[in-house]
Formats: sequence, structure tokens, C-alpha cells
Amino acid sequence: MNKFAAILYDSFLEIKDRKIFYFYWLVAGVLIIVFGLLPSLNINGRDILEGNLLSPEVLNGFIARFFDGFLGFVIFLLVFGSAGLAPSFLSKGRVELVLSKPIDRWRLLSMKFLAVYLVKAAVLAVMATAIWLTLSLRLGMFNWGFFPGLLFACLQLLVVYAIVFFFGVLTNSAASAIMGYFVIRIGTDLLASRKVVYPLLGEKSLWKTILDGVYHVSPKIGEMSENIGPIMTGKGMADFYPVWSTVLIAVVVFLVTLLYFNRKDY
Amino acid sequence: MNDAAIQVDHLTKRYSAGFRRPPVQALTDISLDVKKNEIFGLLGPNGAGKTTLIKILLGSLLPTSGAASINGFGGADWRSRLSAGYLPENHRFPPYLTGRQMLFCFGGMAGLSSTVIRGKADALFDLVGLHQWQNTKIRKYSKGMMQRLGLAQALLNDPQLIFLDEPTDGVDPVGRHEIRTILLNLKKEGKTIFLNSHLLAEVEAVCDRVAILNKGRLVKVGPVSGLLDVKPAYRLETAEMPPVVGEETTTAFPTAKIEGTVITVTLETPGQVNEIIDLLRRRGVDLVSVAPVKVSLEESFLELIQGDGSHE
Ligand SMILES: Nc1ncnc2c1ncn2[C@@H]1O[C@H](COP(=O)(O)OP(=O)(O)OP(=O)(O)O)[C@@H](O)[C@H]1O
Ligand SMILES: [Mg+2]
Repeated sequence: MNKFAAILYDSFLEIKDRKIFYFYWLVAGVLIIVFGLLPSLNINGRDILEGNLLSPEVLNGFIARFFDGFLGFVIFLLVFGSAGLAPSFLSKGRVELVLSKPIDRWRLLSMKFLAVYLVKAAVLAVMATAIWLTLSLRLGMFNWGFFPGLLFACLQLLVVYAIVFFFGVLTNSAASAIMGYFVIRIGTDLLASRKVVYPLLGEKSLWKTILDGVYHVSPKIGEMSENIGPIMTGKGMADFYPVWSTVLIAVVVFLVTLLYFNRKDY
Repeated sequence: MNDAAIQVDHLTKRYSAGFRRPPVQALTDISLDVKKNEIFGLLGPNGAGKTTLIKILLGSLLPTSGAASINGFGGADWRSRLSAGYLPENHRFPPYLTGRQMLFCFGGMAGLSSTVIRGKADALFDLVGLHQWQNTKIRKYSKGMMQRLGLAQALLNDPQLIFLDEPTDGVDPVGRHEIRTILLNLKKEGKTIFLNSHLLAEVEAVCDRVAILNKGRLVKVGPVSGLLDVKPAYRLETAEMPPVVGEETTTAFPTAKIEGTVITVTLETPGQVNEIIDLLRRRGVDLVSVAPVKVSLEESFLELIQGDGSHE
């Protein structure tokens, strides 16, 4: 317990030391101010501005779409903010000391992963909840679907960070970790729409099989994130497959990271 | 359990130097033991493999072949590091921490509770002379201050076995002396110390036993005193030196060098100097003075290292 607490404390202080940490709060602060200036609409009390232009359903949809985009944006920021943390933990001059502590390598790396993830997820949760609260108070309407949506966003962050972490440990460089992640991210978005090019491939089904195969073993992050909106509006998950297969792949990627780390010379 | 704190057995380490390049052989077939409560020095020139050996012992490098263990546990076993303290070479401690936070982070990772760390921090900062710097961020520390902090960190968990890789690197003369005193006090407390250095004087001043490493091979292991067998050398000054006698002397004693009226010679035993004196007296040469020449440890160390390189 002391060991994990120490790693968590260290990770928190390192995250806090980076400028991007203040950028998160700047973004959140601006949004809170903007929403705070909205006219007060008492929707549930039927005190809606000018007739029935805004129904609760329409507003709900708007809120869901807003958070869909917002959470995706924050996860994007968090990728930038956390890509350098594993490489710096494992940097020359520091890793020797870290590895000299009485902790198994696989446990050490798991604790570091979890520590960074927890801090980042906390940032995400605090930011999003504060904005949601402001918005809800102004609208006089509380969309409780926000919380399952936030939980899902945290799961998404976990998957994304597993991939960023993998590239960070593999290359020991923040820039490469970010690049690796975006190559995967863009590649899988293209794969998700692979059916567009099927007519061009003619009858040669080998290519289709290959593309399908690659699609199934790649993390479907873009498709996974499309669930945030439906979850918030209470429609539930649109498609389960991208979610569970991506989580499974993230677990495998994390195990590969551990295996690699276990045998590496520092 | 035997009394060996560290055991190294036919250890070899090769670094792969990357694609299509031959691997770097950093250690070749090293075997040595370090006893409990001993200050053991590992001495050798730059690139000899000293840091490599420490890193294998502490599990940050994996051996290519052979084995290295601490208290019977191999480097891959975390229990080998349960009672170890380590001051790495070329460390870069997290710049965003203060000295004090650093103790909490790294002490915590060693398994200490924050209560225990709080109880020890002040005394340690006093010991290494960083008291007024403990709440300053490490990024503002000088090299020597970081070294002192590293030492405090290495002693935090009250380790039985302390690994120090060039502990006085970047430390001023006063600090060096203080560190030396700290090491000797630790020995009195019954600790075992493994010290890497390329500074002969440092090793000589504190170590019980020394191993000399050169180009990845163990050249010699033994107590400091008998390690570098310094041969006796003498300087004989004569009143006058006829060339014939000079020739005769250099034939009888090939190591003799003659410059004007002065002979310098390295001998196998101190008694041999009498043979030279006898020879000179028989030829009627008057002696003005005879004095032993002090060959420094430094010189004979260099000789040992260079000699080792030639027969490869
Ligand atoms: N990561 C690495 N990859 C490849 N070669 C390495 C690596 N680390 C060290 N070496 C090589 O291994 C040899 C031993 O290096 P090591 O750092 O152990 O020497 P050292 O005795 O500690 O030297 P110094 O006194 O300069 O600290 C050197 O030839 C070095 O170039
Ligand atoms: Mg070294």
C-alpha cells in the first residue's frame, strides 16, 4: 500500500508540474463561465422561454451531444498530457533507482499505469462534473444519464491510455507515444469504414478477409466513443462489439507491455 | 546462510549495440564475493564495467550468462532488494520534487510508511548537510547537492547493504571528507558497502577489500594493502660515475637507469640494494646518498591496468 501511495503521489506531483495541467482547468473554467452566463431556464417547472421551441428532449439531446464532443476533446488533451509520464518514469538516471526498489517489475509497471490513470480520470471526472452541474443548474434540468456517460468515458480513457502507455514504454519517448497512438487511432477509423472500398477490390475476397481480420484485432476507439451520446440520452449502447473487443485488445496490449518491460535492460 | 552478502558467479554481460553492430562485451566471467560488514571497492578506469555490475546486482540489467545474487536472491527477485540502498551514477532525480518529497516518494516505494519517513528525514538532511534545502525543488539543486540527496535517499530505509556508484562525483573536498566519515560510521553500524570508484585514493581510504576491473575482466581482488605489490626502488647518488662501472651496473641490474652521477633502480627485494652498493664500492665509486623512492599506488595501478591491456 505504501508503495502504491508513493507512486500515486509522485505521479500526481509530476502531472501537476506540467503546464498542460493548468490548460485543463482553463478549458473547464471558460466553459463554466460561458454556461454560467446562460439565461436561467426552468425546464422541469415548465417555465420555458418563448413558447415550446425548446423541449426537454431537444435540450437533452443537445447536452448529450455537447458532452460527447467535450469528453472526446478532454481525452485527446489527456493523451498529450500523459504520454510523457511513462517515458520520464523510465528515463535514464531515474529508472535505475526505481528498479532498485523491492518491487516486482510487473507490479511496478502496473502500479505506475494505474497511478497515472487514476489522476487523469479524476481530472476528467472533476472537470466534466463541474461543467455538467453548471449547465444543469442554469437549465433547471438534471440529465442523470451524464454519470453513466462519464463512467463510459473513463473506460474509454483506460483503453486509450493502455495504448499510449504501450508506445511510451516501448519507445521511451513522449513524442513517439503520441504518434503511435494517433497512427492506431486514425488507422482504425479508416478500417471501420473499410466497406467503402470493397467495390473497388472486385471479386478478390482475400483483401476483404485481410482488412476484416485487421479490423477485428485492432482497438476500435473511434467507434467505441460513439456510444457516449446514446448512453447519456438513455438509449443505451448502440453497438456492444466495438466496446468489448477494444477492452479485450487493451488488456492484451497491457500484458504485452508488461512482458516487454520484464525482460528489458535499463 | 553463509556470510556472503553478495555473490557473483561467472557473470558475463553483453550489450546489444543495435542493428548490425557487434555487441559490447561489458563483463567477462566475473566471480567474486562480498562478505557481510565489509566495505568493498570496485576500482577501474572509465568503461571498465563497474556500473554494469552494480546494475545487474540491483536488477536493472539482466545478465547474459552466469549469476549475481544478494543475500541468496538473484537480481530478478524483488526480495534481493529488500534491504538495499542505492546511489546511482549519473542520476537524474525528478526535478519537480523537493528534496523532502523525493524522500517520501522513493522511501515509500521501498515500503516505508510516511510516519517512518517523517521520523528520519530531518536527521538525514542534517547528516548530508542539506537541511535548509529540503523544501527546494530538485531542479534548483547543484550537482553536489543532488549527490548528497541521493546519499540521503540511499540510507533512508536503513539498508544492510549499500551500493554507491561514484558517491563523491561532483562533491567538493569538504563533502568528500564528510562522505568518507559517513561510510566509516556505517561500517561501524555493521552495514555492508559496495563502492564503485575510479579514484584510487578514495578506495584506499575506506575499503577493506578491493577488486580491480579492466575492460570487463577482473584483474585482481584482495585487501587494499597487498593489492598493488609495490616493488622497492632506490636512488643512489655517487660522487663520480665512470662509464665502465655504469655499464657493469646496468648489465647486473637491467632495471637500473643512470643519469650523470645518479642511479635509479627497481628491485625484487629491498636486500638487493646492498648488492649494488657492494659492486660500486668494489670499483672504488664513492656514494653520496642512498634513498628509497616512493612509487605511488597510482603509478602501480596504472602499470597493472596497462599491463593487463597488452596481453589481450
Ligand atoms: N546501455 C548500453 N549499451 C551498450 N553499451 C553499454 C551500455 N552501457 C554501458 N555500455 C558499455 O559497457 C562498458 C562498461 O560500461 P560501464 O558503464 O559499466 O563502465 P564503468 O566502469 O561504470 O565506467 P565509468 O567509470 O565511466 O562509470 C562500456 O564499454 C560501455 O560503453
Ligand atoms: Mg560507471
